[in-house]
Amino acid sequence: MSVLGLLRPAVITEVPENYFVVVHPLDDVPEQKVNSSGLGAMPMTTSVKLSLMALRGYLILMMFLVLYHVMDLAGVFGPHAR
Amino acid sequence: MANEVLSISTAGVEATLPPVRGRVVRSRWLYSVLTFLTVFGPGLIVMEADNDAGAVSTYVQAGAQYGTRLLWILLLLLPVTYFIQEMVVRLGIATGKGHAAMIYQRFGRWWGMFSLVDLQLVNFLTLVTEFAAISLALSHMNIAPRLGVPLAAVVLITMVLSGSYRRWERVTVFLCLLDLGWVAIALKVRPSFGEVLHNTIVPGIPQGGVTASLTFLVIAIVGTTIAPWQLFFQQSCIADKRLRFSDVKWARLDTFLGAVFTIVVAGCMMLAGNAAKMHGLTFSDPAQMANDLHIFSGDFVRSAILLLMINAAVLGTTAISLSSSWAYGEVKGWPHSLEMPIRKAPGFYLTYVLCVGLAAAIVLIPGAPLQLIILGVQVLAGIMLPSAIIFLQLLLNDKEVLGKQFINQRWNNWVNWTIIIVLFILSLILAAQVAASNLFPAS
Repeated sequence: MSVLGLLRPAVITEVPENYFVVVHPLDDVPEQKVNSSGLGAMPMTTSVKLSLMALRGYLILMMFLVLYHVMDLAGVFGPHAR
Repeated sequence: MANEVLSISTAGVEATLPPVRGRVVRSRWLYSVLTFLTVFGPGLIVMEADNDAGAVSTYVQAGAQYGTRLLWILLLLLPVTYFIQEMVVRLGIATGKGHAAMIYQRFGRWWGMFSLVDLQLVNFLTLVTEFAAISLALSHMNIAPRLGVPLAAVVLITMVLSGSYRRWERVTVFLCLLDLGWVAIALKVRPSFGEVLHNTIVPGIPQGGVTASLTFLVIAIVGTTIAPWQLFFQQSCIADKRLRFSDVKWARLDTFLGAVFTIVVAGCMMLAGNAAKMHGLTFSDPAQMANDLHIFSGDFVRSAILLLMINAAVLGTTAISLSSSWAYGEVKGWPHSLEMPIRKAPGFYLTYVLCVGLAAAIVLIPGAPLQLIILGVQVLAGIMLPSAIIFLQLLLNDKEVLGKQFINQRWNNWVNWTIIIVLFILSLILAAQVAASNLFPAS
């Protein structure tokens, strides 16, 4: 097979014995993926839930801190704020 | 499942398939190579697009300040980036869904919205820095930014509007490969290869010991090499490309090669900075460094650095904007695929156009607070990264979704929790710097 032939995909309906078929994922028949739509929220232990709540608090605090810092640098609180 | 049909046909038995477009080959070796090439793309793009304008600035600065002494950190970051993105590969292939959709579904509305808003904010601020770099490089090339920046925005928008994932991927992979120019620059500035090899393999602390500036430069390198948008981007990219279960090993190889490529390019950026240090040059940005190096290394190095700065920003912009568009589309339930024409996925394309257009417009505003934006990007990304990886880690231990085939193994969890702890410590140091900068005296 020529190099050009290799690069140019063609419609295939039959595969000879001892040959292999290379199909681009976008040309392939879509496969059935793991169905997670009906599962809802992930079941978590109490320690994981508490850890995520702590993380939530940390992230909210940090967002405010960053906001304050950036506003401070921008001079929103006046020249003597820092 | 499509690949089950194909596996029958490849087992040496003549078979009939539903009509598909493909290539028939006789050699198993050629079959493997071509299959890899069809899967190849998302891994290289997600890694190399992370060598964006901010990364160029950070790596070059690291080289200028500490020479080759921090190269070992890059080597250390190679497995870290690979392990994180490999989890994304498994999650994307198993579910066929993007990261934002999975967080929304499995952790509820609050975390879903927080992740989305945080991602959009950090991404948008990063996009502004990308266009700021384009503007800077263009002005050093005597091209007026008010012409060049809008032109770059138009090119970036045109890249995705063709309604073909493959076309976008080919162009982007080509841009990634252009970054090999950094290797040529590194060779041209003639570093001491023995020293480079030694400092890459043997960890060491630069002269002066552990100082505040060294600590923050290390945090900046880590934050530059691993970014939150990468998790969202690669998973959505894999979902859009419809990678199959059988593609996992090739997607892993793509991701690994992408990680190696990126670390090599990042190392070459450090070597360019090292060249400036060797010549006693001081500079405020890579474009100025390119101009100053020109005296010692010639026109090639100057032009190549300026062009590669623009290339880095273009790559970063297309990948980051797409991660925003995919994430927004997933959460809103809009059609969100590069395979769709504009009329079928208007919200997806509009998000992309708005991201690119607004970021370009901000850069053109005279007196825009670009330094504040750069600071905001670094801090927000540093804070967001560890929490984003925690969700990834929890999702990869979600037996209900992934089953036994794709779930993390015990060793995966050990490695990943270690990475998360280290990233959290770095994030806390960064947070402490933001909260009380006086704690860290300048040195």
